[in-house]
Amino acid sequence: MIFLRRQLPLLITMITGLLFAGQYYVPHPSSELLLTSATKWLQIIGGFALVLGITSLFHQHAVKIRRQEAGWGYSLVLYAGMLVTLAAGALAKGKESLDGAMTGFGWVYSFMLVPLQGTMFAILAFFIASAAYRSFRARSREAAVLLVAAVIVMMGRVPLGEYLIPLSGDVSQWILNVLNASVRRAILIGVSLGAIALSFKIIFGVERSYLGGGKE
Amino acid sequence: MTLSERMLKIDRRIIFLVIGLCTLLPLLYPVGLPIKISPEVRSIYEYIESLPERSVFLLSIDFDPASKPELHPQAIALLRHAFRKNLRVVAMTLWVSGTGMADQLLTQVAQEMGKEDGKDYVFLGWSSGGTAVIISMGQDLYKAFPSDYGGKATKGIPVLEGVQSLKDVAYAISLGAGNPGVEAWYVFGKDKYKFELGGGCTGVIAPGLYPLLRSGQINGLIGGLRGAAEYESLVGQKGRAVAGMDAQSATHFAIIVLVAICNLFYFSLRQQQGRSRQS
Amino acid sequence: MDATTLGAWMATGLTLFIFSFLYKDNPLFKLAEHLYVGVSVGYHIVKIFDSVVVNLIYKPIVEQEEIALLIPVAIGLLMLTRYLPKAAWMSRYAFAFIVGVGSGLAIPRTISAFILKQVEDTVRPLLSMAGGDGLTFSMNLLNPASNLNAIIILIGVSSVLFYFFFSIEHSGPGKVVARTGIVFLMIAFGAAFGYTVMARMSLLIGRLTDLIEFSDASYGHPTLWLLIVTVAALFLLARRRQQEPPEAH
Repeated sequence: MIFLRRQLPLLITMITGLLFAGQYYVPHPSSELLLTSATKWLQIIGGFALVLGITSLFHQHAVKIRRQEAGWGYSLVLYAGMLVTLAAGALAKGKESLDGAMTGFGWVYSFMLVPLQGTMFAILAFFIASAAYRSFRARSREAAVLLVAAVIVMMGRVPLGEYLIPLSGDVSQWILNVLNASVRRAILIGVSLGAIALSFKIIFGVERSYLGGGKE
Repeated sequence: MTLSERMLKIDRRIIFLVIGLCTLLPLLYPVGLPIKISPEVRSIYEYIESLPERSVFLLSIDFDPASKPELHPQAIALLRHAFRKNLRVVAMTLWVSGTGMADQLLTQVAQEMGKEDGKDYVFLGWSSGGTAVIISMGQDLYKAFPSDYGGKATKGIPVLEGVQSLKDVAYAISLGAGNPGVEAWYVFGKDKYKFELGGGCTGVIAPGLYPLLRSGQINGLIGGLRGAAEYESLVGQKGRAVAGMDAQSATHFAIIVLVAICNLFYFSLRQQQGRSRQS
Repeated sequence: MDATTLGAWMATGLTLFIFSFLYKDNPLFKLAEHLYVGVSVGYHIVKIFDSVVVNLIYKPIVEQEEIALLIPVAIGLLMLTRYLPKAAWMSRYAFAFIVGVGSGLAIPRTISAFILKQVEDTVRPLLSMAGGDGLTFSMNLLNPASNLNAIIILIGVSSVLFYFFFSIEHSGPGKVVARTGIVFLMIAFGAAFGYTVMARMSLLIGRLTDLIEFSDASYGHPTLWLLIVTVAALFLLARRRQQEPPEAH
């Protein structure tokens, strides 16, 4: 039973991992066919993974309503919103517009989801300003360098800044294309090396936390 | 409390009000300062200009409504340009909540430019799997998307004639707000299937894409609302991005002034504390 | 009242409810926030059903008889056993498959794209200095491809990589290199902050543009009326909280 519960999954990870890492270097048609099938399968399994994420959200709010915890009324609003959207989607066969006309589902998307999600992220503008005022202080030499670079880029990337000080546009372009590019390149190389090391650890069974699903 | 201490602890709602006014007033009373075009945006424009008619142009609308203000104007400007050059436009998305928005913007621009669904453009829609979709399209487009967004079978659509996979795409642009986005399109797409790739992205992830720009892995980068405004100016049809540039200028200067004031009070406070410690 | 006008009122109302959070956390914001999660989940479910179940599973298996696709369906169903405590261990097979294939696909592509290509592009420009007619050196700072900038990029990449290498002590000449790395890092973070500010402000500009568009007379001035309603509601809620006796715990 231990084999079925622990060793077999790890074996599957190792075999599939090595197989598809090697597939990249084999141009034979059967290797290409393997890749085509595998990625098609991943598309389908990816859909189920999304379902997993959604059902955990259900569960969280269902518990809240059942236990009548503080704010359970809002959980009802959540379910109401979801049911209305599902009903609209079923009626419109999952399409936002049919024959050029907006469906009820499209109405819910354009006049509810889009403004809600857009505004949720738009209020961050206010918080970044308030955070900048509270904490963007030149406490040390390095912080001063950061501050100066930020001010140059903020000025150089807007028409008013380029109009008042044309040099700010050129300097900010240089900062982005040379200094910033070199740092991001180093970070990219470092992070990629780390990610590959982690992938190898997963393939060879050293790292097992991704399995989950009970004890052992 | 001294003036410096009081100013440093000011109610943040006053700062919110300042930002709100700096955004609202320029939108109501625009000035229209000139916009300089950066080389990374120009290179995308010039590449599309150089494509022959009926080349296959893939636009991957990889963002959701949260990034709409920055990337929607980019998508519109690029589609207008592509339709004006009579390219065959294949649009798709890797972000599920962006599907409705992508469908709507493509239909809107296509109607405006008099283009026909199936003949001049196709919207493949969304498919789950993220980067697996990119590889799948690179192997066999019809296996990745057996039908388009309207439910019509993709095999046999006139606009996809001669296209078997990503290898037959002349130019692909990914408008990305995160992962999967421009980087994924390179790593899982261009690396093996060798099509030319350009990128559009939000301001948050733009600095991180400059290494790819410098190495030529992407041939151009449209960064944020400013990049969209530059592209709109190049295409000659000014839209929301150009209209938002004055507000962008005002808010940036507001932040610079706020940071300058905060540092002024911070240093004066430090001086006062230093003096009181000495005495 | 047609659908677009009703939609304009709905969109404006929800936008203002969320903006009310800037004054204080309040029931209007909580309502809008929970509605957002509900509608978002509903939208995801409809899309998964339409794009995955109908187009990727049902149509190919039933209409084109691709029976082999039943295997990924089975793997996907195995994943869902995570919710049954007795059978949760079966979900390990699904995750083992996904993670195995994902890691395998990513490793060679990441090496090629993010390591080899990036290192190549750091070193290759240096070769351009040794042309057919001897050494040349272009010094144009404004051209990112000039030789001077190629050297600056090389210094930046190596000093930052060295800074993050914590296996040896950063002392002596190592300290100089690490400090150079820190200076480069600070400049890059400053640029990142500038761009983040630009991005966030753009999002706000977008929403306010929509609010201004919906304040038009053709929709019945929803922005104005709903602004009055929101402010009045906040005022009444604040009054009610003041009048209520403090709750006993």
